[in-house]
Amino acid sequence: MHIAKLIVKEILHRKTHFLLGLVAVAAAVALVVAFVTTAAAGNRETARLMLKTGFNLRIIPADADMNRFLINGFSDRTMPAGYLDTMARQEGFSYNHLLASLQQKIAWRGMEVILTGLAPEVCPPDRKKPPMVFEVKRGTAYMGSVLAEALDIKKGDAIDVNGTMLEIVQCLSPSGTLDDIRIQCHIADAQTILNLPGRINEIQAVDCLCFVPTDDPLAILKDELARVLPEAQVIQIARIAEARNQQRRMVQSYLAFIMAAVIVVAGAWIGLLAMLNVRQRQSEIGIMRAIGYRADYIAALLLGKAVLMGLVGALIGFTVGSALAVVFGPDIFKVTAKALKTDYALLLWSLIAAPAFAAVASFIPVMRAVAQDPADTLRKE
Amino acid sequence: MLRLENVTKTYRTRNGTFNALDDVSLHIEAGEFAVIRGASGCGKTTLLMTFAGMLRPTRGTVLFGDRDLYRMGSAERACFRAQNLGFVFQMFHLVPYLSIAENVLLPAAAAGLADPGTRAAELIDKLGLASRRHHDPTQLSAGEKQRTAVARAMLNEPRVILADEPTGNLDPDNARAVLGHLAEYHKGGGTVVIVTHGPEAAQFADKIIHLNAGRIDSNP
Repeated sequence: MHIAKLIVKEILHRKTHFLLGLVAVAAAVALVVAFVTTAAAGNRETARLMLKTGFNLRIIPADADMNRFLINGFSDRTMPAGYLDTMARQEGFSYNHLLASLQQKIAWRGMEVILTGLAPEVCPPDRKKPPMVFEVKRGTAYMGSVLAEALDIKKGDAIDVNGTMLEIVQCLSPSGTLDDIRIQCHIADAQTILNLPGRINEIQAVDCLCFVPTDDPLAILKDELARVLPEAQVIQIARIAEARNQQRRMVQSYLAFIMAAVIVVAGAWIGLLAMLNVRQRQSEIGIMRAIGYRADYIAALLLGKAVLMGLVGALIGFTVGSALAVVFGPDIFKVTAKALKTDYALLLWSLIAAPAFAAVASFIPVMRAVAQDPADTLRKE
Repeated sequence: MLRLENVTKTYRTRNGTFNALDDVSLHIEAGEFAVIRGASGCGKTTLLMTFAGMLRPTRGTVLFGDRDLYRMGSAERACFRAQNLGFVFQMFHLVPYLSIAENVLLPAAAAGLADPGTRAAELIDKLGLASRRHHDPTQLSAGEKQRTAVARAMLNEPRVILADEPTGNLDPDNARAVLGHLAEYHKGGGTVVIVTHGPEAAQFADKIIHLNAGRIDSNP
């Protein structure tokens, strides 16, 4: 009788046992598929949420005076605006959300203010993302809260900054930072006002290394920058970088724990069921060996069932896991909800891993059964 | 044909070791109907399993013709059993998820029989199981189960049928029927070895061997 027919007949005879095994495999696959699918969304979500902590990299001229940079909050030296284009052209670059600015302290209406010109945010060609900050149009300005209150400036007012007229599009809420004494305008307006055409003094950026396992991301960033802009230096805002790093480690540790727990529990369950199945089948194993079936045939008969269980469990588990991720994921990951999709590559992995896993979990009980003398097996009945 | 030479089988238990077979030597000729008798626990089943190449003795040699069964590898011994031996057990050992016809056919694949269907159908008819052909073992009486096991043992036309208490779970009528089928097989030239503690099989026997505490008892 063909081995496949024997496997199917035994499954139909012991449906409950097969169903219990199937539930174990399907549950394990469903959980893994759901976690992997949502983990990708979780990583994207974490990355997006961490962007709210702001830019964590500042690229300034290599010869900038660091003492003054730290005291003033911006570089005293400028660099060509073309540096932004150079960085924006790089592919496989670990810098993203590039925001060039030109800022200087100026005296205006009897107050010391920071004039900040902002270029539109750009991304390298392989890392196109929605901008993190608003874009300032030419001829407009955003007014810091301290300035607005002290000088009684309101939205819609027109201001003259050293001969350049700017319309106030918004007075910003108090932030408790230098932004409160900042006039933010388009980079070209700032270059005109400061008489520094074609110059910038900083490019802010976000690194893309938050989910890349590396011990020293700053070394990578410095190395990449040195290759394309040796005249510039990168400063990492350690507080933000560390927060992102901690978040990454937490997410990865959590997922690793869940995966390991699921695999151990499912493996123990399948192994236990295989042991019970072998015990139930002592008589069958004994008589088949007695009448001349070889141990490898019996092992194939028992492991074949485990493999079939793995294949069917993988299909069910993938369907259930993907459905769970797609149905419930958007409620958890609201920012990246649209990115939650069925990942068919996981089906292939499930169809390979689940039968292998079921066979491995069943291997020891099966090998113990076939290694026994048939007489011992029959005597136990 | 079947020869045991100084066979000892020692089991280890929590209470120490004991010899289920103790230096047993015996010889069964081709075409014989041999009955091995003895009380429960005297080593009858151990002897039969050792004969069958299913239980390696601690010491001694088991020969089938001039072949030493336990010098063969496990796979070779399995192949040897498939081609030369048939088994009938007290507990029937039918595969529960196969029909009666499928149970009878079970040894065919192991022995590589070309067209076992005709032979199986003949045996099923001969042993009075035709109406039960497609039934499951659970739907059969004890006598029918044992007749199925006998048909399964005969399918390959083995040289020897080894039967372990084949009537132990049967009423007298069914016991007679099963022994009758084995006797008929013997008349056709087959060798039959039965171990039993009951007296029913003795009437068919060419040779009766008494076993007592793992040793051949020459004065029962």
